[in-house]
Amino acid sequence: MARLNPIDLELFERGVLIRLSDVDAGYGAATVLMGVNFEARAGEVALVTGPAAAGKTTLTHLLRLALPIRSGRALILGADVGRAGERQLAQAKRKIGYIAENPTFIEQWSAFDNISMPLRMTGRKPREYGEDVRELVDFVGIGEAADLPVAQLSGAERRRVAIARALAGKPELILADDPTAGMSPADGKRVVRLLSEMRRVGAGVVITSQDESLAECAPVQHWRIERGRISKAAAPLEAEAQE
Amino acid sequence: MKNPFAGVERALILTLVFAAFAATLAGLGARAADRLAVHYEQQRSAYAVVRVLAPEGPEGMAAAEAALAHAPHVLTAARMTANRAAELLSQWGGVEISPASVPDIRLIEIELTPSPGADVAGDIVAALAQGGVTAEVIEAPREIAGGGVSARVRTAALWGALAFAALMAAIVWLAARGLAARRRELVTVMCDLGAMRSQASGRIADEAAVLGLYAGAAGAALAGLAAGAVMLLVIPGASVETLRDMILPIDLAPIVAAPLGAAVAAGAGARGAAAHFHAQAARLG
Repeated sequence: MARLNPIDLELFERGVLIRLSDVDAGYGAATVLMGVNFEARAGEVALVTGPAAAGKTTLTHLLRLALPIRSGRALILGADVGRAGERQLAQAKRKIGYIAENPTFIEQWSAFDNISMPLRMTGRKPREYGEDVRELVDFVGIGEAADLPVAQLSGAERRRVAIARALAGKPELILADDPTAGMSPADGKRVVRLLSEMRRVGAGVVITSQDESLAECAPVQHWRIERGRISKAAAPLEAEAQE
Repeated sequence: MKNPFAGVERALILTLVFAAFAATLAGLGARAADRLAVHYEQQRSAYAVVRVLAPEGPEGMAAAEAALAHAPHVLTAARMTANRAAELLSQWGGVEISPASVPDIRLIEIELTPSPGADVAGDIVAALAQGGVTAEVIEAPREIAGGGVSARVRTAALWGALAFAALMAAIVWLAARGLAARRRELVTVMCDLGAMRSQASGRIADEAAVLGLYAGAAGAALAGLAAGAVMLLVIPGASVETLRDMILPIDLAPIVAAPLGAAVAAGAGARGAAAHFHAQAARLG
């Protein structure tokens, strides 16, 4: 297993959850992300916006440890992605709450059972986590639908179930890939505010979206991605001054 | 853990039950063939004929009968009459032979105790010699008239049953891969939540193994009942009580092995497929 050097470890202990340095990544022959430099810290919300096919989902796959890097260095939750073994990556993954654009569920299970999966995997018994999951169900506003099979839920309800599942394991890093897609602007802003609330418990949040206006919903570190290259967006005041 | 039967198509369970049923029947059939072959071999080796060479005349036959009464390996001894000789010759030659046409024969039929590895003929000739009789012992031929067939039957039955069981195990293995494919979303979710390959594939393998065990037990039980029914119909005068006495513990081996084999094959198939799906989910690009 690859061990972190003391400098990397200190970074993680100082709250740097993600640090990408000149990272390239992609699929097959295509390199989608090029020379990416990105950082996310505990207690902060990073919003990455960009047009379709800019590389937002690929960035999310990289951050959720599902995509290997081709060059550069990626430190994610204390794991050096390029050198870490399966066990270390799995340990890091358990600290990540991931909300996919099209979340995968066990369709015949109820929403409640799907939400409790992360807790179930830690070996906890239903009587131990039942109350926590009920609180999450209320927090994301699923209500009575929690007892229905996921296959019977609407798209918006599925998205809420995905958020609840991502939060159930009390993750240190929350990744949301276009969580407001297909929602009304009001619902989208509500979801972003809900995710942003998690910074209050010390988690880092990374949200990708096409919707630039989400930056106004909550205090965020705003990044822009275009054609696989990422850069920090100018703060609103700076942008106005530039205009 | 979820109910292992939830969401699993009935066709999959029926496939596993059928595979276990067929494999058990093949095993029981092989065991029956094995027992018939052993019985046949015992029958052949439990019979011999003593041909008295000297002394000539009725005294020689009487002395031989007296010596055989105390000879090792001999259960019973009976002088072969002309009627019996004619009957045997007619039976073997396929042509009716009259007892009157049979010449004076100096043969004694003997029934032997099972003595594996012993020089039966040598021991009997020695015992006859001690009684003052020169004779030879004619045993069942080794290579003709069925000699050696039983060993070949037993070997063929064993390997045939094993090959058939392997074929059924392959079917179970493939069916279990189908189960893993149906649980792909579970593997993907577990992978996303940080489960290692061994954890995700182990979870699916456990489910498949439990399913294989239940289905295998059902198939084996059905095969056992079917085999019992066939035996009651085929064996004259057989009843449940006599069957119970006839069946040896070793006859039950296929019934015990089928559920275990089904569980192992199903677990292995599902584990392999789930590990593959986990690898796909874990690493894009």
